[in-house]
Amino acid sequence: MITANHQNVSQRSPWGAIVTFLLPALVLYIAFTAYPVVRTFWNSFHHVLPKGETFVGLENYAELVKDEFFWRAVGNTLIWSLASPLLEVGIALLLALALYAKVPGARFFRIAWFTPVLMSYVVVGILWSWIYNYEWGALNETLRWIGLGNWARAWLGRPDTALPALIFITSWMWAGFNLVVLLAALHSLPSEVIEAAELDNCGWWGKLVYVIVPLTKATLLNLLVLSFIGKMKIFDLVWITTKGGPLWSTETVSTYVYKRAFEWNTFDLGYPSAIAAVWFVIVISAVLGLSWLLRHGEKLEY
Amino acid sequence: MRWRLTLVMVILGFYTMFAAGPFAWVALMSVRTTTEITANHYAWPKTWHWEKFTEAWFGSGYNVYFQNSTLVVCSAVLVLTVVGSMAAYALARYRFPSNRTIYFILFSTIVFPPQITVIALFQILVQYGLYNSLPGLTLVYVAFQLPLTVYILETFFRRIPGELFDAARIDGYGEFEVFWRIALPISLPAISTTVILNTILLWNEFLYAVVLITDESKRTLPLGIQRFMGDQLEDIGMIATGLMIAIIPVVLIYAFFSEKLIKGMTAGAMK
Repeated sequence: MITANHQNVSQRSPWGAIVTFLLPALVLYIAFTAYPVVRTFWNSFHHVLPKGETFVGLENYAELVKDEFFWRAVGNTLIWSLASPLLEVGIALLLALALYAKVPGARFFRIAWFTPVLMSYVVVGILWSWIYNYEWGALNETLRWIGLGNWARAWLGRPDTALPALIFITSWMWAGFNLVVLLAALHSLPSEVIEAAELDNCGWWGKLVYVIVPLTKATLLNLLVLSFIGKMKIFDLVWITTKGGPLWSTETVSTYVYKRAFEWNTFDLGYPSAIAAVWFVIVISAVLGLSWLLRHGEKLEY
Repeated sequence: MRWRLTLVMVILGFYTMFAAGPFAWVALMSVRTTTEITANHYAWPKTWHWEKFTEAWFGSGYNVYFQNSTLVVCSAVLVLTVVGSMAAYALARYRFPSNRTIYFILFSTIVFPPQITVIALFQILVQYGLYNSLPGLTLVYVAFQLPLTVYILETFFRRIPGELFDAARIDGYGEFEVFWRIALPISLPAISTTVILNTILLWNEFLYAVVLITDESKRTLPLGIQRFMGDQLEDIGMIATGLMIAIIPVVLIYAFFSEKLIKGMTAGAMK
């Protein structure tokens, strides 16, 4: 791989061309990504009010430690980030098992199941707040229809069911995506491997445990990490459906940052910046930690 | 063995209803009036009220939201494609100090939570008079999608055999000609993937828009829908029509480029 790169990359360094190619991207990156990141960290050590900024040292961070709403938000986001990957990848594995045997119309199923992930969280959020509607939502109507009418409830309106209901929405959205990636990974394997497994005619559990999971391990781990990262950032869906309510039960770190920065009338941008900074460090360490663990785990395998 | 296939097909059918059913439901509601919907939420439309789309378009401001979204997304994707492919080309094809450092920093940005930039971007755009303006939102969108675009294109540029470029240089092509007349045409499949992917992702973007845009006349579609939903919570029929206006372009793109879109979306997850 390294030698191939050496051959590919041209030997001379035409600086004029390099700078011209890179400069626009770097300018945009520095102005609208790097500088804002630095400025957020800078904010976090200040009170940032419309009339000016005052240095307060670690005061924002000290406040953060004592802020029960922040910890509530962290708890909810972590539950979401840990439950979702398992649900999404779990459903995707079961679906892969179904599509793994050659069924007619596999292409159609693949395209249909992928659809939810292409829709914005705004569309999905509104749609599912209707599905969860107490009086006429599809979920409660189905429950009443099969005789479980006393299970019907306002799913997004109760502190005990709101977060699970939202987690379910993201799983609905992303299961198809995970399935498609998983299928692509399975199809990229040499066909003899799969055919051999077919011939052995082991049961569906055997196929899952001895064929699909081990052969797509790298992809599965990747999907778990990807789903985890996605849920650590989640904002849109909560904002459209519950705005963090009822009683903080669906508050996530993102919605709390937004509320403290732009909804509460404190006008201080320093404190929400401190939350964002802490969360940034946590997300980046989690990603680095997970990818290190995964690479480490793979090495141990051999 | 027959019954097993039947069982599998039944399960697949159920899951398809579960995954796509909600969209069919919205589509049906979008051509029914709220009165009809309230009478029965799951009935087939008796008369198809296509006029609701005209009503939403002209009467509820969806024409403005749609135009704003189209303008922002198209200009952002255009800039992204030009700037992103140039940067990806430089990173993939030239050896220079700090090449890998730049690549690594850009690449890591893909996992950044957006909150780390959103507050400061608000301050910066206010300072430079770009707050609450479509050009401001466009620039933010370009920066937001740049890392992913560069990542996808860099991978592609890197795979092109070097002999091709050497041959072009021997023929007397300058560096820009090599990029413009060799690299770009070859990379058209990868470039179109990023174009389609960025279009969908930015069309759906909500967080930056909600922070950086406040004017009614500058709202993008997701903001417009949220606003309409807030004002007319009970008017389910019209909300459904609005949702369809946002969904239809996505469905059209998906209908024509499903494989490309799937490839783009899953590019980061494959290993």
